[in-house]
Amino acid sequence: MERKVIIEMRNIVKKFPGVVAVNHVNLKLYKGEVLAVLGENGAGKTTLMNVLYGLLQPNKGEIYIEGKKVIHRSPLDAIRNGIGMVHQHFTLVEDLTIAENIVLGLREVGFFVNLKKVAKEIEEFADKLGIKINPYAKVWQLSAGEKQKVEILKTLFRNPKVLILDEPTSVLTPQETRELFKAVIALKQRGLSIIFISHKLEEVLHIADRIMVLRHGEVTGELLRDEANPRLLARLMVGKDVFLDIKNPSTTPVSEVVLEVRNLEALGDRGNLALKDVNIRVRAGEILGIAGVSGNGQKELAETLYGIRRPTRGKIFFLNQDITNSNVLERIQLGISYIPAERLKYGTVGDLPLYENVVLTRIYDSKIIKDFPAIPNNLKPIDVRVIEELAKELITRYSVVTPSHKALVKNLSGGNIQRVIVGREIERNPKLLIAEEPTAGLDIAATEFVRRKLIELRNKKCSVILISSDLSEILSISDKIAVMYGGEIVGVFKPGELEIEDIGLMMAGYSKMNKERIEALWA
Amino acid sequence: MGLSIVFEERRTDLTHILLLPLLSVGAAFLVGSLLMIWSNVDPITGYFSFIRGSLGGYIQITDTLLRTTPFLLMGVGIAFSNRSGVLNVGAEGQYLFGAIATTATALYLQGIGMDAGITLIASMFAGALAGAFWAFIAGFMRAYFEINEIVVTVIMNWLAFKIMQWLLRGPLKNPLSEMWPMSPPISAKLPLMLPESRLHVGFLVAIFIAFMTYYLLFRTKLGFMIRVLGNNPHAAKYAGFPVKNLIVFSMMYSGALAGLAGGIEVLGVFHFLYEGIAVGLGYTSIITALIGRNHPIGVIGSSLIFGMIYNGSVYLQSATGLTYTYSKAVEGLIYLFFMLFTILVLYRVKLVVR
Repeated sequence: MERKVIIEMRNIVKKFPGVVAVNHVNLKLYKGEVLAVLGENGAGKTTLMNVLYGLLQPNKGEIYIEGKKVIHRSPLDAIRNGIGMVHQHFTLVEDLTIAENIVLGLREVGFFVNLKKVAKEIEEFADKLGIKINPYAKVWQLSAGEKQKVEILKTLFRNPKVLILDEPTSVLTPQETRELFKAVIALKQRGLSIIFISHKLEEVLHIADRIMVLRHGEVTGELLRDEANPRLLARLMVGKDVFLDIKNPSTTPVSEVVLEVRNLEALGDRGNLALKDVNIRVRAGEILGIAGVSGNGQKELAETLYGIRRPTRGKIFFLNQDITNSNVLERIQLGISYIPAERLKYGTVGDLPLYENVVLTRIYDSKIIKDFPAIPNNLKPIDVRVIEELAKELITRYSVVTPSHKALVKNLSGGNIQRVIVGREIERNPKLLIAEEPTAGLDIAATEFVRRKLIELRNKKCSVILISSDLSEILSISDKIAVMYGGEIVGVFKPGELEIEDIGLMMAGYSKMNKERIEALWA
Repeated sequence: MGLSIVFEERRTDLTHILLLPLLSVGAAFLVGSLLMIWSNVDPITGYFSFIRGSLGGYIQITDTLLRTTPFLLMGVGIAFSNRSGVLNVGAEGQYLFGAIATTATALYLQGIGMDAGITLIASMFAGALAGAFWAFIAGFMRAYFEINEIVVTVIMNWLAFKIMQWLLRGPLKNPLSEMWPMSPPISAKLPLMLPESRLHVGFLVAIFIAFMTYYLLFRTKLGFMIRVLGNNPHAAKYAGFPVKNLIVFSMMYSGALAGLAGGIEVLGVFHFLYEGIAVGLGYTSIITALIGRNHPIGVIGSSLIFGMIYNGSVYLQSATGLTYTYSKAVEGLIYLFFMLFTILVLYRVKLVVR
């Protein structure tokens, strides 16, 4: 049977400085089907969709809609061509009603709006789709699931041919997810074509007619629902290539426990429960890898351990000392270092010179302060010569490419900024280093450099928690691995104990070790 | 087809940065001459009297330095808080509150027959303390309740002015003055620096404080934390700095300098308190800090410019009849041109057709 092709994307390439986010991708969407685009964070799913929706311009490649070549310079062009997109994050005005929010997006409505008439239309329209809403409700009163329905209604009200849903279930409860799926199936039956972006295997297998898997910007598989099974998808998604083969002498005689986390719970930025009953034990001279698709509580875990985020329940012990209520500076002084994932936002001050950035997390150190006995501590002068020396030393030891130690950090490249941060945190001789996505976006040389440094540190009996969404990185340098999904630790194992497919299944929320087994593995 | 404006950052060095204020003052005076022509004043005569008034002789130059003093103190204070990322729009109110506290303290001490030297020092101290307290309220609300400090400081400016009006008609009223609300005269006066001029030691105090603030900002641990906070508050949190206390402190420091400026004006220039001291010096000082690029040494230069404008406009008025609102207009123009030139110097602006 010849089905009608709605959208065809040919040979799409999209580069960002230093990364090829989408690499020669072809995509076909047929009328009345649900196409799932599956992949880890950073696989290029959203970038590809943003190209289709006109938010990004491709470096190469063409888009055809119903056989006609189109160029989408902005979302306006895409909307005119019948494409609607519901973004991962809501784009609603909280203080307006549902009806007002929907009208906002319409071009046909003139300056004066008959809101009553529109509200009635919206209600009828929603009814036809089996969605119950009150068009006069204010958006801030709605739950996440209801807001999403409004987003979808807003998009559908323009009568598109194609609906793109970008990670639509990331903020929904299981109940709301089921309702969303019902709506998606209803829309499909009305002839709409839907692109469903997700990293959750279960959902994809449930809802999709066809599945396209992306990894590192390339298509690793394209299959029909009936050809797919969880193990196969997991492998396509996380890949099998361990491209850096660092010899890892896993010598772990039972050493002292450096970090012990018990029943830790913490809220995320949206007030959601981001960490659920997390238990962790890290010993001296051990790298604990935390695997998982990003957004499953890793960031919140790192921030709670470092003291930026307050836990709502549970205890943290560092070298047998309860640090649950200690602040960041106290933890820094105890010997906890943190390499944050968002290096420009947290790790550095762009408008200050390199040598000042080198002491950002070191101001407690009496070495960098000139001693004047009569002056209060904070007013004592910083010994500029000492910190310049520290900076120069760091530049040589960590091969930072910079015109001088006085260059502003914002003028360095991403890889060099990361060398500065990694150097700064390691040179403090920490007892525990939390490294969050330490190699994301770096080139191969810098990546390997950072990994070697982590291993060196481990060999000096420091504990390392390596949080990474790159599974091959975790597998190549960790002594023990924990998998996080939905804010929980769903599995603990040693490298080589599990098949890559099994790890992928856990990362995608498809399987889970039982509690007793996890407890036993922590010991 | 769409048209868009693209800003490309340029490499800049110190000469660019130093050129900026000069360029903007020049352009403001150029447009200012159009204003003069419009008011039927010959710009050459106008500017001649302006220059003569601000730099034309010993008296004029020392008077310009006298006018510079409050701009310098308040500008340095505002620069300090700007560096930490809080915007103190309340220097005007802190200045008034400082002037009130200084007057009240000085009058009390002279009432109990205190020595003039002690009276001066104690009352200046009281002025700084009062300014710091006035700013503390805004800093505290910003740090602990996330209430916008700009709104709070603007409200506090009015509050300070109203409190002064009440005091001058009540507790601080001079019983001998029937017509104008004013305080009794203060007998302790700031010592003069030079013979045959009104320039008092307050100017030296201000210069000293500018250098001290430079040291505080760029040499000490505290200053480092403040600069990190202002440039990237997330990084300050990550590094474990006491962010809330830093915000409160920088606001209080800013307020203390404004309060001191108010006290110095009372003790060195007016020798009593009256409503006429509220002429918006605190607002002009915001521009002073900006033109000085929030750098205490830069503010020495920019406050000299504003001292000149202030003093020159007095001569301008007597020579041409242009009132002091003219100098206010020129101040505004300097500010506008500075913003414009900052963008033009720091960025290459391109019009792009897509």
